[in-house]
Amino acid sequence: MTEPPPSPVSSAVPIDPAPSLGHRTVVRHSVGEFSQWLTVTRHQLAHYVRTYRFLGLLGFVVLVSGLTVGLQLVAGVEATRIAALERTSEYETNFLEFTGLWIALSAALFAGDALSVDFSTGAGYHMLVLPVRRTTLLVGRYTAALIVTMAIVSAYYTFCIVGASYFFGSAVFEWVSTGVSLLIAALFALAALAIAFSISAFFRSPAAGVVVTLLTIYVGFSALQGVLELAGYEPWFFLTYAAGAITTVTDRDFAHFQRIPLGPGQYATLWQADFMEAVVVMIAYLVVFFVLSAFLYERQESMG
Amino acid sequence: MASIAVEGVTKSFRGGTLGLDDITFRYEGTGAIGCLGPNGAGKTTTLKLLVGLLRPTKGHAYLNGFDPMVNRKAALWDVGAVIETPEPYPTLTIFDTLRTVGLVRGLSDEGIDSEIDRAHDLLDLPPLGSRVGTLSKGQRQRVVLASALMGDPSVLLLDEPTSGLDPAERVLVRGLLSRLKRDHLLFLSSHQMLEVSEICDEVVVLHRGRVLVKDRMDRLTGRIRSRELVVEFDRPVAPGSFDALTPLGAEVETLTDRRCRIRFSGDDSARARLLDACRTIAPVSQFSNATIVLEEAYLDAITSASKGT
Repeated sequence: MTEPPPSPVSSAVPIDPAPSLGHRTVVRHSVGEFSQWLTVTRHQLAHYVRTYRFLGLLGFVVLVSGLTVGLQLVAGVEATRIAALERTSEYETNFLEFTGLWIALSAALFAGDALSVDFSTGAGYHMLVLPVRRTTLLVGRYTAALIVTMAIVSAYYTFCIVGASYFFGSAVFEWVSTGVSLLIAALFALAALAIAFSISAFFRSPAAGVVVTLLTIYVGFSALQGVLELAGYEPWFFLTYAAGAITTVTDRDFAHFQRIPLGPGQYATLWQADFMEAVVVMIAYLVVFFVLSAFLYERQESMG
Repeated sequence: MASIAVEGVTKSFRGGTLGLDDITFRYEGTGAIGCLGPNGAGKTTTLKLLVGLLRPTKGHAYLNGFDPMVNRKAALWDVGAVIETPEPYPTLTIFDTLRTVGLVRGLSDEGIDSEIDRAHDLLDLPPLGSRVGTLSKGQRQRVVLASALMGDPSVLLLDEPTSGLDPAERVLVRGLLSRLKRDHLLFLSSHQMLEVSEICDEVVVLHRGRVLVKDRMDRLTGRIRSRELVVEFDRPVAPGSFDALTPLGAEVETLTDRRCRIRFSGDDSARARLLDACRTIAPVSQFSNATIVLEEAYLDAITSASKGT
């Protein structure tokens, strides 16, 4: 039997009877970023769809939407039509009111700890030692979070479409405005997820990431937006303001600016984002926070 | 050629704690290097710096010639690493987990199946359809070892590779590592002297973030003049028989009628002479000394360093 060639680090003295595993030829191809992105996305998606978070949130959205349509059925077709001012658009506008909440919850649950798990649990010791760029990991996870978020939003829209078609007839259903609304919802999801990923890249605690994401997107923005409006300023730079376009695009009574008299010499001012304004603001949030999350994630170290 | 290099690396943590203080070493080719040191010496920090989980404050680390801080993908391309306690997603199955690793490492579907089969055989993995979250600690440790082996990387970085394993699993993994080092470059940190003395050819001893000792295993253990041998004979031996060892400078302590502990001063040739003398008393069924010698060498180095500072 031929002895293996002497190794630069091997000692002459220890006699190790363990044989080699044999020379093997393992063919490995170079893998591009796109291919690794697909792999990471599938991996993350497979994880998400088996978590209680996804199943729980989807179940909750289906329950709330189902109850809404169910109670409308109990109230009767006429009552539902009157409540919606006899207009499909009004029905949709009212129904889709919770879209922002579902997206904020999805962003918190799926992205609020998507990056911090790498530095607070052992997940990073599994994924970050693989030959894949952190940016690719981030984009893959972001894509997976977007897919599950849109799955939840789509379930919600499906109930809206079914309800509107039942109460008003599918012939008068406003497909275009609903499609545009869904598009804006997708843009809002992209921006909200980018914010959530930034928060996740900043905080080490997954729980803190989830809570802060929810507080920022759903509570913080809304509260500040309300205060600014009360003071008479247009809150155009708030994401939640832009997200208002999800329902205003289906609203025939849309007005960019309203001044509602409250009493002698007193008015409440109200602004609503139009389509273009919403798109520009959301894209700006998406770009800024995505770049920020990539920067923070790249620099984060595994201290624990 | 597989290589690991650390060049003048210093790592300071927040608050000024010095994790590593200007350490340098380089290994290439095949074989196993054991990284020893007390808790907080910088073993895991060194491994984390090598794979880019930590950023050096000063200096550079290289894997196969690539700096993970500059080109992470190239540096980790031919490297398998198990550092701290990796936790693959608990929701996914063993197969899903290993498949993802295989795809990221550029294996084809056939290659992935073949590698998973091999890992399954080598590490006695649980059924591949089991979810990671349902596995015991030892089973999960074997899965992450399998993950490190996917694609047969030439460099393996292992942090306490047998921690959390039961005795049978330890034997399995130690046997595997002893075989892998023939054609891989292994760098492993451990507190288990037996493990290091069995597997490793070279040893790096870290202490307070500095390289205290860096040497071949035989040279390191050869520095220790005071040694112990535990010899077991294949039949009972009369206590008076050990008188034959006294002229060789040995102190003999009878443990059982078949086993004795021999303390002596000297190098490997002195040990060989003692063993020859033992064989004249009765056939020797087995003997051991490596653990204690490495342990003594390690403790000697640490104690000397502590006295010096």
